[in-house]
Amino acid sequence: MRPQGTTAETSTDWSLLARVGQRDEEALSALYDRYSGLVFSEAKRILRDTGAAEEILQDLFYQVWRTAERFDPAKGSLAGWLLVAARNRAISKLRRKSGKSEELDENGVSLSMDVESHAAQNLLLDKVRTVMGSLPENQREALECAYFEGMTHTEIAEKTGQPLGTIKTRIRSAMESLKKVLSG
Amino acid sequence: MGNGEHIRLEELELFALGALPEDEATALQSHVSGCGECAMKLAQARGNAAMLAFAVKQDKPAGTVKAELMARIRANREAEERNTWPSKIQIVEGEEAKRKPKVDAKSSWWNWVLVPAAVGLAVVSFALSWQNRRIATELQKERQAAETLIHDREQIEKLVSVLASPDTVTVKLAGTGDPASTSGLVKYNGKTGIVLYAAELPALPADKSYQMWLVPANGAPISAGLLGPGGHAWGSMWTAEVPANTQAKAFAVTIEPVGGMPQPTGQKVLLGTT
Repeated sequence: MRPQGTTAETSTDWSLLARVGQRDEEALSALYDRYSGLVFSEAKRILRDTGAAEEILQDLFYQVWRTAERFDPAKGSLAGWLLVAARNRAISKLRRKSGKSEELDENGVSLSMDVESHAAQNLLLDKVRTVMGSLPENQREALECAYFEGMTHTEIAEKTGQPLGTIKTRIRSAMESLKKVLSG
Repeated sequence: MGNGEHIRLEELELFALGALPEDEATALQSHVSGCGECAMKLAQARGNAAMLAFAVKQDKPAGTVKAELMARIRANREAEERNTWPSKIQIVEGEEAKRKPKVDAKSSWWNWVLVPAAVGLAVVSFALSWQNRRIATELQKERQAAETLIHDREQIEKLVSVLASPDTVTVKLAGTGDPASTSGLVKYNGKTGIVLYAAELPALPADKSYQMWLVPANGAPISAGLLGPGGHAWGSMWTAEVPANTQAKAFAVTIEPVGGMPQPTGQKVLLGTT
């Protein structure tokens, strides 16, 4: 039974997930409405393929439906799991296309920001886009190659013709800028 | 890779981004599996990396995706609710019926032998089908009971190992506000990461939970489970597991939304330092 005074919009991820574990379709629908845009957009950015991104989106939420009772708040956030799992599946598809294959661990993702409401998500969208836009081009390129293209630091160094140490420094600096904004 | 003890933050961030080559990633993962502090920092690094999803131009998926998902879910739920065993028997019965020889209705001898035999078979099949359904249900109950026993035994073994270990520390929790008469006790074994705790706390509204936190020497608090409905209770004690080898500075209980939160957000009601 849903606690009094709560709606799907205001319920926390974990309370919705608990209801999904009890086979509540409305709760799964609420989680989908909350995160489908983020998950789909990320997968589409990596794969540049709407159909493939939609497939990943649907499979991920079907997995949430099938394994809701296994999610543990002590091990990380649902939103973090969704975003990292979407990225991993998209990169895996990319790597299968290029002949590479590597499993990436998606468990244990701890988000420092609230992302459960549309207002919080809009705020983050604004913050993160602003900081990414303000990064030096070479830092942004290194970060995007790593996260959205699935490239290792060695591959990025080869692609850009820069020393490995330089690439590591660029990625570290970019992450420092991002962390400053997230903690502010 | 590290400074001899822990992995450098830079390497953890590269790992979280998926930017480490396979051999470095494997070595790092091996260390993290046995190091609570590095595991916690990696979880934070993964969270920061996940924020990059917010840099992407936002787009909405087609409405058909949700419709297909919900249809898939509905089909899955209906399949779970149905017992498929009788369906298989029904299919076999249908196939057997098809294989039976066709009989000339004008032959009275066949009518006197086969019609009663067919009726008898139908009665027996129905009885067997009902019995099989009953047996399948009983089997499922026995299976669930066995799983519960195994789980309970594992919990008892964990309880005994923690209570008997010389590495286990005891932390008394005192109330931090109103009501001040609340109290609690934590038994924590840092090597295994197992936390046992008991507390006297007033009942909460249905939309709230008490949540236990381990405050490490470095880093953000780690959830050590929920107290009460939804928590992992054994008798009047609760159990939880945190990453092994996490050095605890303190333990605290806060009031959170039901189901718990990744980080403390609510009123602190109990606190104890190691």
